[in-house]
Amino acid sequence: MNTAKNLAKENIWNNNPVFVQILGICSTLAVTNNLTNTFIMTVSVTFVTAFSNLSVSILKNYIPRKVRMIMQTLIIAFFVIIVDIMLRAYLPDISKSLGPYVGLIITNCIIMGRAEAFAQSNSPLISFWDGITSGIGYMWVLMIIAFFRELLGFGTLFGIKILSSEFTPWTIMVMAPSAFFILGILIWIVKTNMMRQDEKNEIPAKQTN
Amino acid sequence: MKKDSLIYTVTFSFIITFVFVFILAVAYEGTAERVKRHQKISETRAYLSASGIKLNPNEDPQVKFSEIFGGDFKDKEVLTAKINNENIFLSRISGKGLWGTISGVIAVNSSIDKIIGIEITSHSETPGLGGRIEESWFLNQFRDEKVPNNISIIMGTGRGDTVSDNGLVDGITGATRTSESVENIINKKLLQLRNLKRRGEI
Repeated sequence: MNTAKNLAKENIWNNNPVFVQILGICSTLAVTNNLTNTFIMTVSVTFVTAFSNLSVSILKNYIPRKVRMIMQTLIIAFFVIIVDIMLRAYLPDISKSLGPYVGLIITNCIIMGRAEAFAQSNSPLISFWDGITSGIGYMWVLMIIAFFRELLGFGTLFGIKILSSEFTPWTIMVMAPSAFFILGILIWIVKTNMMRQDEKNEIPAKQTN
Repeated sequence: MKKDSLIYTVTFSFIITFVFVFILAVAYEGTAERVKRHQKISETRAYLSASGIKLNPNEDPQVKFSEIFGGDFKDKEVLTAKINNENIFLSRISGKGLWGTISGVIAVNSSIDKIIGIEITSHSETPGLGGRIEESWFLNQFRDEKVPNNISIIMGTGRGDTVSDNGLVDGITGATRTSESVENIINKKLLQLRNLKRRGEI
């Protein structure tokens, strides 16, 4: 139980895939200009990470070392195509507006990274949990970016008009560069906070020495 | 059997690939009908929208479409209808884009000198560049555009061309080839419709 809690804290905060490991930046820039798309995209990534982690972990003792990477890619591609098929069949509008980005989940480094770094050497259940928490770590960062981009770019949240019609939308917020700015600012704020926390933790430790 | 042996590796890879691909095939087949139905609906919506017909949220697009046009593209290449006291021709357009086929639909008036509207139903252009041909700011430029001769897609001011009697619309920055393709596809269709009309076939 304790490891599960630590793992969650590690993936969601201390070792967050987006702002600490700087992974999955391509989709961070691409899909964050509206909250609905971002939500579906991040749920899909979480699903794929969790289940590919689970599958890799179950199969890890049978996979020959030589074809390890190819098998991981195959498993990841399998779950991504499942997501794509399901979106096409049940959420056609979202599937259309996400367009090619659903297929590009395959190239999201977070998924391959977790499969190789975690699932390959841990038991299935905890690997599944690792996938979910990594996905959540990715999700909340993207949702924050999407919140600002949609609010300032369109004046809406989840497609619902929030700001009055007198508000002039910031066109830049709809385009990719704004994701760079917001991600940069977010990393800056979070890292500053983390460093401050580290300093606090270090001082008492030194005194006891 | 040794895990690193060639035979094990090949057999294992084969079985795993087979199992995963088999499940995918089942999932694909199982939802194919549904996906096709969605596609049909969204195409019909595009036809209606190109013709300038507003659809109420509770109306079935397919019912409305066959009410107005009295048929579909299975039987004829050009459909006609009377909308707002104006006869219009509706025809599908398709042609080569930068990466693949661009398909859509165009509605023109009966003397074929005004475009009522166009819609893009499928394309595989670069997302964010050529892919923007399906966005409304681009498509709206064609709404009620007078085309005495041909349509020309030009470099504009970046705000979209709102003048609707010059046959000019703004292209997309960074997607010159796609813009040219759309221009060619539309002009080819206009020519074809004019020829059909001259021969009295429509």
